[in-house]
Amino acid sequence: MSDSRNEEQGCPQFSKLTHGLAVGLTVVVFPLIWVGGLVTTYDAGMAVPDWPTTYGWNMFAYPASTWLFGPFDLMVEHSHRLLASLSGMIAIGLVVAAWKLDRRPWFRWWAVGLLLLVIAQGVLGGVRVLLDERLVAKIHGCVGPAFFALAAATGVLTSRWWFAPAAGMEGAGRRVGKAVAIVVSGLCALSYLQLVLGAQLRHITGWMSHRSFRGLVHAHLAMAGLLLMGVLVAAIMVWWKPTIPRVRRWVMGLCLLVVLQIVLGCATWVVNYALPWSELNKTLAGYTIQAKGFVESLVVTAHMATGSLIVAFAAVASVRAWRFRWVVKQGRVQ
Amino acid sequence: MNAPPRNDRRNALPQDGGVKLFRVMWVGWCVAAVIGCAPSPGAFPPNRIFAKRLELTDDIDLGKGLAESQVLLAELFGTPDQPRWPAMVSELTPGRSGDAAASRRGDTSSPEPLVRLENLRRAAGAVRSDEQGVHWGLYRANCVQCHGVAGDGLGPAAALLNPYPRDFRMGKFKWKRTPLGRRPTRDDLRRVLLRGVPGTAMPSFANLDADDIEALVDYTIYLSIRGEFERRLLSLAAQEVDWQGGEHLYDPAWLPSEGMAAQAWPAQWRDLMEELANIVAQWQAAEELPIDVPHPDFPLVERTPSDDAGQLSETGGIEQQIIASIAHGGELFRGTVASCSFCHGDDATGTGQQNNYDEWTRDWTVLAGLNPGDTEALRPMLELGALKPRPILPRNLTWGIFRGGDTPEDLYLRIAHGVEGTPMPAAPLQPGNPQGLRQEEVWDLIRFLLSLSDRPADPRPGSPGGGT
Repeated sequence: MSDSRNEEQGCPQFSKLTHGLAVGLTVVVFPLIWVGGLVTTYDAGMAVPDWPTTYGWNMFAYPASTWLFGPFDLMVEHSHRLLASLSGMIAIGLVVAAWKLDRRPWFRWWAVGLLLLVIAQGVLGGVRVLLDERLVAKIHGCVGPAFFALAAATGVLTSRWWFAPAAGMEGAGRRVGKAVAIVVSGLCALSYLQLVLGAQLRHITGWMSHRSFRGLVHAHLAMAGLLLMGVLVAAIMVWWKPTIPRVRRWVMGLCLLVVLQIVLGCATWVVNYALPWSELNKTLAGYTIQAKGFVESLVVTAHMATGSLIVAFAAVASVRAWRFRWVVKQGRVQ
Repeated sequence: MNAPPRNDRRNALPQDGGVKLFRVMWVGWCVAAVIGCAPSPGAFPPNRIFAKRLELTDDIDLGKGLAESQVLLAELFGTPDQPRWPAMVSELTPGRSGDAAASRRGDTSSPEPLVRLENLRRAAGAVRSDEQGVHWGLYRANCVQCHGVAGDGLGPAAALLNPYPRDFRMGKFKWKRTPLGRRPTRDDLRRVLLRGVPGTAMPSFANLDADDIEALVDYTIYLSIRGEFERRLLSLAAQEVDWQGGEHLYDPAWLPSEGMAAQAWPAQWRDLMEELANIVAQWQAAEELPIDVPHPDFPLVERTPSDDAGQLSETGGIEQQIIASIAHGGELFRGTVASCSFCHGDDATGTGQQNNYDEWTRDWTVLAGLNPGDTEALRPMLELGALKPRPILPRNLTWGIFRGGDTPEDLYLRIAHGVEGTPMPAAPLQPGNPQGLRQEEVWDLIRFLLSLSDRPADPRPGSPGGGT
């Protein structure tokens, strides 16, 4: 039935199952990133000292009574592993679906690449534990959001829209300017670089010099300013020029997320280190940071997760923008 | 629509641009991933800034002294991953931290040791926890970002904090209930950890387990004693050791064999251990020194019937007393005896003296003959990692926010005993100083301070502010 509907809508290649798996993967990876962020926030990365087992158990057989109602660190770390396994399984399903249902050879290999990336990410997480190495934790923390963005982009690659991006657009005068596509792609790259910088600040060790840290903070702030300008420019471009809603919507979402992220970034600094000029304001002067406090942990982890979301939004907007332009260039729409 | 020619430069641009962008991203990622990833060298960073100060003031090259001091410190205190506690020093300080000496004597009733090795091992090393929720690596998880590996206050985040994080190595701690110049008690350190310091980067660790807090208290004392001993060693290296004559600060050959009685130690080793024992003894003595805060003669503030279910219903007489006390407190605040307004300003907003420096800053600037305001002169120190000096500003007292604690007891301690390491002195008090303040006048000052803000006094029964 769905096949006939697809035929009717001019997208015979669309597979509901493949798309569902891609979207499902994205939906599972986002909480996985949150829980991964909590692992870092609570320094729970070494709450389970072995891998791929959990205290000698097969991780799926590890008694729930031990980890679910046990120490918080253990719960966070083990949940992270289970969610990661789930995303791996969905990625396997996506590969099978791609090879069975999708006619595009490049997409089949894309799905394989996605699976390899999630496996590599899992191995990185394991190596981080086995070597107790912060550098690996840092890389693990940077690969996760990249995978999330790719999973989100896969949602676009498998969507009905991908096969008929210009459906209903004929004569509407809607388009995607080249400048918009370039700016949005640049934002994707910039936001990921910003996320990598943020990961350096998250995973500091006592041996880092205060000069390096200060340099990183300043670079992170400068990059935030650049990103804000970038999204504002992109928002103005898509607002004033007749851009297709599927791009405009994501760019506007990106804009809101960056503004939210800047607020969260300021809050993250306050709940970690207090403002250097806290004496200027009575509320700040009277605020005592709660180490491992609920609000503090939530703010810090939300800042990390929103960073990932920004990269994913920018990736989706980029993929949509370039896809639309390519289809227009191919002459499939006037 | 025709496909564009393959060699159309304009059409080729996005692809080339994409490749370039990818390369830039990749290189950027690699650089960013490596920046700041200094490998753990496995040793405490030496106190090069203090060594430089000595080199400047004593005109001596302390390279050898610094190297030998690090060998001795590693022998006695171990490394950030594997800390040791120099139990042998107990031979020279019997009865307190001397768990080794006491156990040899079979004395099981001796007081608690100053520092427990098992606590140091829990606080040190890499961060991890187990199935039972026991945590290790507590210092790295909670403190090192600001206070640094050696407790030098030079952690990665230090330069961006205001105030700068505390350097433990001078043995000076602000918030305590021992007299100026004395070490804090364990309880003082515990309280700061639990309470945090408002308006600063020092958080409250009330969410940590009590055992974790105890381990951090022990580790703080350990780092402080280690740091103080390092300073003492460097001073000896600069002023006592005849390097030209072939003397050493420390020679591993002096190390006594395990179990050797103190009387049989080589003289040089014994001298060094006595230096260390003196430092340890100051920490032990602190436990005997906590100041008892006297109660005021009458409550600090007027209580209205709605307060605390009328626990402290007051009479009109006391109301008049309080009003008079606040007025007298204001006079004292601006007077020449307490002289509070000199720094805090007549309006108590902290607008007085603005160009003082705390002792942690003066230690490597003024005491090294350097002007804290002269950045060029300070360059050798800044290159060694010292943080650019910032004047210590007097507090705005009108907000009712007091970093060292806001109970009346805390305020009494700050006024009567000052704040260690800062320009805040201990107020002159009678009977020690006949021209000084009477004990009740300290409470007048506190009533005045409390009247400046809208914060209520601590009404806890039994607290000094709650009345007798």
